[in-house]
Amino acid sequence: MDTSAPTPTTMTIRAASLYYGIFRAVKEINLCFRPNVVTAIIGPSGCGKSTLLRSLNRINDRVAGFRVEGTISLGDTDVYAPGTDVVDLRRRVGMVFQRPNPFPMSIFDNVAFGLTLYAPPTRAALAALVEDALRASALWGEVKDKLRRPASELSGGQQQRLCIARAIATRPDVLLMDEPCSALDPISTLKVEELIAELKCSYTVVIVTHNMQQAARASDITVMMNMDAVDRAGHVIEVGDTDTIFTNPKHPQTEAYVSGRFG
Amino acid sequence: MYNEPREARVTRDVVWERRIIAARRRAALVDRAMTGLLALAALGLALVLSAIIFIILRAGLPALSWSFLTSASSITDPGGGIGPQIFVSIYVLVLSLLIATPVGVGAAIYLAEYARPGPATNAIRFSTEALASVPSVVFGVFGAIIFLTTMSLGFSVLSGSLTLALLNLPLMVRIAEDAIRSVPVAYREASLALGASRWETIRKAVLPSALPGIITALVLTGGRILGETAPLILTTGTTISPNARYSLNPLQTGETLAVHIWVLKIVGVPGLKDAQLVADGSAAVLLLIVLLINLAMAFFTTRLTRRLRGVGRAPRAGGSKKG
Repeated sequence: MDTSAPTPTTMTIRAASLYYGIFRAVKEINLCFRPNVVTAIIGPSGCGKSTLLRSLNRINDRVAGFRVEGTISLGDTDVYAPGTDVVDLRRRVGMVFQRPNPFPMSIFDNVAFGLTLYAPPTRAALAALVEDALRASALWGEVKDKLRRPASELSGGQQQRLCIARAIATRPDVLLMDEPCSALDPISTLKVEELIAELKCSYTVVIVTHNMQQAARASDITVMMNMDAVDRAGHVIEVGDTDTIFTNPKHPQTEAYVSGRFG
Repeated sequence: MYNEPREARVTRDVVWERRIIAARRRAALVDRAMTGLLALAALGLALVLSAIIFIILRAGLPALSWSFLTSASSITDPGGGIGPQIFVSIYVLVLSLLIATPVGVGAAIYLAEYARPGPATNAIRFSTEALASVPSVVFGVFGAIIFLTTMSLGFSVLSGSLTLALLNLPLMVRIAEDAIRSVPVAYREASLALGASRWETIRKAVLPSALPGIITALVLTGGRILGETAPLILTTGTTISPNARYSLNPLQTGETLAVHIWVLKIVGVPGLKDAQLVADGSAAVLLLIVLLINLAMAFFTTRLTRRLRGVGRAPRAGGSKKG
């Protein structure tokens, strides 16, 4: 893996293990998510991909008994240090969830939600920022005439792009995506994948996916994870350029997984 | 020999299919019976409500007139009204809800959003459930000891409102907590992931969705406040001072409509010829007030929900084209 000096928007995981109570769900992770690169995490169900992703913005803190050993850092900020401002961390590390989860508000208010939290902009500035975010998520053309309609009226794919717009409206450094297309039809999936390819120009993108073609199409680096047969903890099997992982994997488990023989 | 195994299989299939057909027939029958029974139960509910409305209004409507609604009551001469009683009922309702709502909704938010599961939380929840089933007259006795004697507030609207606030807290907490809990976790995670603090998440992403449920809590407790008698007899009293009718002073004694009905029907007012008619009229007014509040709240909740979901707001740029 690339070992050049980390930038302020690089997420680094060093010797990290993630626990639910006494159960170690993920073990001995050493990874680096770089800016302007899409990193895909693949692996069979239950191997801890989502747990790993959800530990990066500490959204898993909500789960009782969840704890982290080792270090996860964004730039030089230790994510799990006692003094870390979790709210500010989450502003810097945006997240898109598996199921589109727009708020039961208008399209406009959904995108404005994060913006109005920090420095409430003026009405005109807010409208411009919302438009920017919707343009960046390739949704502006479809919704510009109905910004005041409820977000629930959009299709699933549009809702997911709305959630992406909502996440990038606050200009995070890192964008985490937890199987963002698993609830979408193939055409919406393609649109979101195109969007991911554009987003990497501005963000550090980490995407968890079950869909091998998606990892192959949309990512630059692929992380293969699997559950250890002995202690049932998820761990990293192989990391490499997406092309290499899919055409010439080193590890037999990766080879079996990407060729569809298990998982 | 060639046919034998096949024959056997066919026979088995026939038995199997007969069993399936019988089972399906049974299921269809039970299905129809249950549909009928459940519909009957629902119909029974509607019938009970209609019967209550019909019988109460038939008895009470003859008493209703503008002067009945506005003039003061009389315990000596016929022709008295219920104006002050209506006023006291509304006053107790508003004051009691003003006292109970911040505490009740606050506790509900705490229990739903902050409290970690554990013995302390379980104890709080158990106390809430237990308190909810304490008879209201017990709250009346408690209120009489604490508010009347210890805090020397005397028989007063304030004592009664405080007592009813305590009486209604458990129910309010229960319903409001359920409403808050039923807001999808996805909203909370979406809000937190956008960098909202815990309170911002509650205020902006959770409470708006829980609001219809919280309003239901207020309406239900409000209905109980209007109908309560026992605790009020012990705390606000059964009289309205003639020189303090329509007084906003919370330390005045008071008599709500429900208590007024109790006095006229049960205690009895010797010498008052139209006592029964006034009581029936009061019941009709009470019923109409409650129905009105329910309708108003249902209307309000619908509008609120629609506004929160983004429907019905004036569109800004681009007109109101539908997509």
